[in-house]
Parts: sequence; C-alpha cells; structure tokens
Amino acid sequence: MNLLLRRLLGMIPTLAGVVIATFILTRLIPGDPAVFFTSNPTADAATVQAIREKLGLAEPLWKQFFIYVGQLLHGDLGNSITTGQPVARDMLRLLPASAELTFVAFALAVGIALPLGIAAALRPGSFVDHVSRLVSTAGVSLPTFVSGLLLIYFLYYLAGWAPEPIGRLDPFAIAPPTVTGFLLVDTLAAGDGAGFVSALRQLVLPSVTMAIFALAPLARMTRASMLGVLHSDFIRTARANGLGWRKIVFTYALRNAMLPIVTTLGLVFSYMLGANVLVERVFAWPGVGSYALNALLSLDYAPVQGFMLVMAAIFVLVNLLVDIAYTLLDPRAALLHHA
Amino acid sequence: MQPWQPSVEGKMRRRELAKAAAIVAVAGALPLAHAHAQSRAESLRILSQAGPNSFDPIGVGVNRNAIQVHWNTYDRLLRFATTKRPDGTLYYDYYKLEGELAERWETSDGGKTITFHLRRNAQFHDGTPVTAEDVKWSFDRVVASPIGRSQFSTGSMTSPEQFTVVDQYTFRITTPQPDRFTLPNLAATYGVIYNAKLVKAQAGAGDAWGNDWLKNNVAGGGAYRVEAHTPGQSVTLSRNDTWKSGELPFFRRILWQVVPDGQARRSSLERGDADIVQDMSPQDAVSLSQATAGTTQVVGVPMAGAFQFIGMNGTLAPFDNVKVRQAIAHALPYQQMFEAALFKRGQPLFGGVAGAADGTEFPQPLGYATDPAKAKALLAEAGFPNGFETTFSFELSLAPVAEPVSLLVQEALGRIGIKVTINKVPGGQLGTLLEKKEVPFFFEGSAAYLNDPDYFFRIFYHGATRWNFGTYRNPEFAALVDKTRYETDRAVYQTDIKRMITLAKQEIPIILLWQPALDTGMQKSIDGYKYLFHRQLELRTLKRI
Repeated sequence: MNLLLRRLLGMIPTLAGVVIATFILTRLIPGDPAVFFTSNPTADAATVQAIREKLGLAEPLWKQFFIYVGQLLHGDLGNSITTGQPVARDMLRLLPASAELTFVAFALAVGIALPLGIAAALRPGSFVDHVSRLVSTAGVSLPTFVSGLLLIYFLYYLAGWAPEPIGRLDPFAIAPPTVTGFLLVDTLAAGDGAGFVSALRQLVLPSVTMAIFALAPLARMTRASMLGVLHSDFIRTARANGLGWRKIVFTYALRNAMLPIVTTLGLVFSYMLGANVLVERVFAWPGVGSYALNALLSLDYAPVQGFMLVMAAIFVLVNLLVDIAYTLLDPRAALLHHA
Repeated sequence: MQPWQPSVEGKMRRRELAKAAAIVAVAGALPLAHAHAQSRAESLRILSQAGPNSFDPIGVGVNRNAIQVHWNTYDRLLRFATTKRPDGTLYYDYYKLEGELAERWETSDGGKTITFHLRRNAQFHDGTPVTAEDVKWSFDRVVASPIGRSQFSTGSMTSPEQFTVVDQYTFRITTPQPDRFTLPNLAATYGVIYNAKLVKAQAGAGDAWGNDWLKNNVAGGGAYRVEAHTPGQSVTLSRNDTWKSGELPFFRRILWQVVPDGQARRSSLERGDADIVQDMSPQDAVSLSQATAGTTQVVGVPMAGAFQFIGMNGTLAPFDNVKVRQAIAHALPYQQMFEAALFKRGQPLFGGVAGAADGTEFPQPLGYATDPAKAKALLAEAGFPNGFETTFSFELSLAPVAEPVSLLVQEALGRIGIKVTINKVPGGQLGTLLEKKEVPFFFEGSAAYLNDPDYFFRIFYHGATRWNFGTYRNPEFAALVDKTRYETDRAVYQTDIKRMITLAKQEIPIILLWQPALDTGMQKSIDGYKYLFHRQLELRTLKRI
C-alpha cells in the first residue's frame, strides 16, 4: 500500500513536466491561431489583433502559462474552438467511445494472440507457428486504414452483412441516457436490448480492424517469451519429474513468460486508446484521437494540450498497473526499489 | 424445498417478468417501427466531412459547416432569388433580391435610407412575433463584433445609430452614402434575425450579446429548428411547421452526420443508406458519376466567387518584375493541370481573351496560353536568361489538388530554367505565412461571398491583408478600387471595371487557374438541390420524388 501511495505521488512531477512540455510544444507550432480563425476575407489587421486579444494570445507567454495552470487547478482544460465546447466536456464524451472500442479490440487481440503465441511456441515450425507468423506479419504490414477499408468494402459494400460503418449506433436509433458513456453498458442499464445489439454490431468492424493491428506485437512477444522459458532448466526439471503438460505450460512456463508480455500489453493498450486516428476516421468513430488531430490541424491549442495531458495521465496509470501486475506475477519485482 | 430447485414463487416471477418484458417490447417496438418506416421518406440523411462548431453565424473561428445550421434555422430580412443553370440545377440569383422576413422595402433620400416593412405573421420558434426591435438588436449585435463589423462595413454599416425602429413592423437603415452592397449583405450569412428577448433572458451577466449562449442554442424563427446536437458527430433538425417566410419544406426531419472519411461517405451513398453526401473529392465525383448509372447522381456546380490560383509575392524579387510573372503565366501547362488535378470538375480561368477585358464579370479567364518559347523570351527580357531558384508552397489540407499542380509547375518551370523546390506546409499554417508576406510563390484558394467585380478586386488585389495574395500595389489600380466603391453611374462603373480587368490581366499579380466545382452526391430520388454562395445545403428546397 505504501508502495502504491509512493508511486501515485511520483506521478505528480511527471504530470507537471507534461503540463510544461505540452504548453511549450503547442506554442512552437508555427502558425498563428488568431490569423487562422479570422477567416473572413474582409478582416483587416485590426480585426486579427482584436481576435488575438479575445483568444488571450496577446498576453506574454509566461502570463498565458500562469493563466493556463490556474485554469488547470480548477479542473478547467479550456475551450475548444473547433468544436465550440469546453475541452473537459469533449474529453468526457469522447474518451468512453475510444475506451469502449479499445477494450473490445484489446480483448479480441489478447484472446487470439496469447493462445496463438503459446501454441506457436509449443510447436515451433508447425502449421500453427506458420499461422502465427503470417498473422504477425500481416498485422504489422497492413496499415489500419487499409485493413479497415478492405473490411468495409467486402463486408458492407459488397456483401451487406456488416452495418453501415458510421458511428457507434444505428443512425436512426435513439442513444440511451449516458451513465458510463460505454454504449454496451448504457443500453443494458436502460434495458434497451435492440440498442445493445446495434451498438455491438457497430463495434464489430472497427474492433476487428484494431485487433488485427494489435495482434502482431502481442503474438510475437508471447511466442518469443514462451519459447525462451520453455527451453530453460526448470521446465526441463519439471518435465523430468513427470508433471502434466497443462501444469508445466500454464503454471510454470506462462507465469514466467508473462513479464515481457504484460509490458507489451500495457504499451499496446495505451497506444490503441490514443493513437488510433486512422481507425476512428475511417469508421467515423467519435474518439479522442481524431479529435486531437483535428484540433492540431486547426491550431486549436486547448484541446491539444488537454488531450496530451489526459493521455499522459493514462499512460502513467497503465504503467502503474503494469508494475503492480509485475509484483503479482513475480514477487521479486516488489523487492526492487522503485523510484 | 431443495436448494438447487428454483422455488415456485421464483418461477412465477420469472414467467411474469418474461411476459411483462414481451408486452413492453411489443408495445415499445410496434409504434416505433411504424413511425420509423413512415418517417424515413420524410427524413433526409446527410453525411459530410465536418460538423458545425457553433450555431452562431458571428463568432471567432466559426467554420463553414456552421452555415448549414444557421442558414436553415434562422431567417434574414432578404434572400437572393432563385434562377436555373443550363442543366436545370437551382442557383441563387445574386443580382435579384426578394423578401424573407421583410415583405417589401423601399429606398429614399437618394439611396441613403432603406425602409423595410416586416411580415406581420412571422414568429420565432418560441412563438413570439418577429418585430423591428429584434431586427435592430440583431444588426446592433453584428456591428458590435469585430468580425461582424468588418463584413457589414463592406455595406457601409458600422454603427448602431444607423439602425432605427420606426414602428413595430417597420425598420430603417441609413448609410452615409448610397451603397449597392448594403442589401446583399443582409441576404448573406451575417444578417440573421435573432429573438432578442430570448437571448437577453438567457444570456448570463457580462455577456450582453449572448455570445456564449448562442454558440450552442438557436434563437431564430427559420424553417428548421435544432432538435439534437452531438458536437463533432451529428445534428438533428426538425421542420418548423409555423414557418411563414416561404413554402413549407418537404422534409420533416434532417439527420446530418459527420463522417470524416470520403470513402466511407461514398460507400454509404452507393449502398443507399445516405441521401446526400457533401464534400466529395473531384476524383470521387468523376468515378461516381461514371460508375453508377443506377441510383445516385452527382451535382457539380462551379463555385461562384471561389477560385484557386498560383500566387506570386509582388514585393519580393524576382516576382516584383512583371515580365517574370508573365513568363510564368505563359509557362504553365493549364490544361494538363486542369485534367490531372481537378479531373475537369470546375470552370477554367485560363485561356480566353488576352490583355483586355472580356465583359465586366470577374473572375474571368486571364488569356495566357501555354507557350514555353514566349516564356523563355520574357524571362530573358526580365534579366533572367538562365532562370532562378524559388520555392513553391501549398498547404497539406489542399494536397489532393495542390500536389499534382505543384509537380506540373515544377516540371514546366524547369523547362524554362526556373528551379522550383516544393514546400508542403502543414494544415493551418500557410495563412500565417501569407499574413507575414513571407511566401514567394504558392498555390491557394479563396472565395468572395458577393459577386460584384469591384468587391473581388477590393479583397484580392488590394490592401495590406493576406487576401491581397499577390501583394499587388499599383497606384492606378488602387485608385480605381476606391473610385468604384460607391460609383452609382453604371456606364462609368463598367469602364472602370474594364480597366481593372485589363490591369489584372497584363500585370498578372496572381495567376487564376479555375473555379472548382462543388460536388454533391445524391440519391436520384432527391430533387430541388440549390447551389448557394456559401456552398452549404439549402434544406428548404430539397424534396424526395
């Protein structure tokens, strides 16, 4: 518990660093938001200056920074000009969409990659191993927008099996009242069976697209790690002692192989949550990735800073979870001193 | 009782529950499904690349898509009349105005006073009548905002004192001089009429003009009202059945969704799930209009006032030399660019009469034919027989068109000895560079809302803003820009405009390429599409046949 508290406190300097870095980075983007947002050709230099003052960009940088930090301390992430909404509200609305997609895709990827990787490691050179290799190679070499568009083309456009790949619900369905922001949960909470099915159908194509992408690193890492462990002395000993293969593989080998896999899981998860702009755009999925990209392209500072801050916090939290998982998997990890 | 057997009571409850659930499901599903089938024909589903970021026409950074909401949910005093293009597409008639909230209007005092008589039966969405007080408050609000004032000043409206309430249904505008841009400005996007009482009641303290509230709320009386809005995802509009300013629209419900990917929008249209798809790329427009003879159609209308061009900074060497600019204009492979970059989806602004005005419309073709030998000779005359080096910039958001253009420019100019390096500028950043006048040579596009040629020249060939893309500073031209501003004598005006067109052709501060087409994909069953100067959908004329 003490350790957990120390780690949580350790997040504060990291996040403070992120706040400073994001502020400076956004200001380094060449391009003047006041000019960009004064898009009416009748506007002269005085109008641009008036807009600059209105946006609070006429102040010196250090003052802008203190205003920004002051707002942050009140939980205010500023306002987005591109959506016209407060960034905090946007994030609350969009993060569950990204998270729901990520969770489903992640579960799919883990559910396929781990067994595949283990099976491949148990029989190197076999058919399963080749399948695993093929899947990893395809997953790495197919950009998500290509696999996404291919899935849309075959399953929606040609076959008509998949629903229209647009958004999280059937366009004419009425969204359930927001409780968690996860539509699968909210539709069930509202007792809306049809809504649940609709949300689930909409999830299939984008989550499969994302899972294909995430499969590759996971399957490869599982295979490599398992292969290493299966060749180690203690497995040979266990085998020599006549233990059942189930016990050897799952209790001894897998647990020892888990450390690098868990690290990869953490990385893949964080990446899927924040950096799946392409999947989000192809499937018109209202997630945080495309939101941040749009903001960046329109020189909208507040959402970019807010996105980077929230993502950094999630990265740090996921890392913390990974570390905790380490100590559970390998008690030796807890003995090491953490910063 | 054995613990693993469900109790009788439990069974009962379960059965009842199932029954109740079935009743609820049937009761809930039936009318819904029925309503669904009935309303689909009267619902219009639109997909576009981006959604509105505000419902307020006048605000910082309000995007183009916002117009689609406020154009259809607010009324203005006046609107442009409707005409037809040769292919039958409805088109706005810039030179003819008709009343919207104003029943009629008259000018007096030599054109300096305009009196509007309001429609007496018009109501806002909440049922309050539209009065002259509301009109005054609305126009006061426009001139109170820097962006609104800079637009309204193009029609000589800058101060609240110019707007007078005569009586409940009579409203008067006075201008310091007769100005032919006053009325068109009222029919454009800024002249919306707000429900002043509602805004005043809703706006918080310190926000006298309701700037925050109007971003997310509509206080109008237009043909549609906003039913639901999820920022960045969808807008649902429903018809305002009490609308009096025109014929009641066909569609009861509009479902407008944001789908960033062009391929996804297109496949949805082809599958028949979407009714209208906006923001089509030229490439998609061509292949869709060729591919499906069946159920979809593509309407492409060259955008009036909009243009894409090659800019040269006339204050930076070597582009300060008019012969260099002419040489480049003669070197460009226009037809190839038009085909490779735009797939011919638009109206060419190349070719045409050389060196002299051809009528008084502008933009018009500038009269430069592709002629490398002449280009080389002009370059030698300018003192660059061996050419020079320069960079050619474009913004990545325009890449689908700008990329092929830039490669063709590079190749063609290479042939006359000019070495061009291509500079791709990330989205949103070219504007800043242009504002600082740091870019020597570039590809850009822009648009003017009002069609008068002097308005076009005033913005794009004059002044210190970045919209004077060629940084053109000819004293004769500048004097004509000022002179034509309030010119009321038609003949004098036309002579002056012809002189300006001649100068724009001979001195070529920017090389106009074409007016791109606005391509909109539609089901064949959709009729009544109308092209408007702001390039967003007019929902009021659309219908399903």
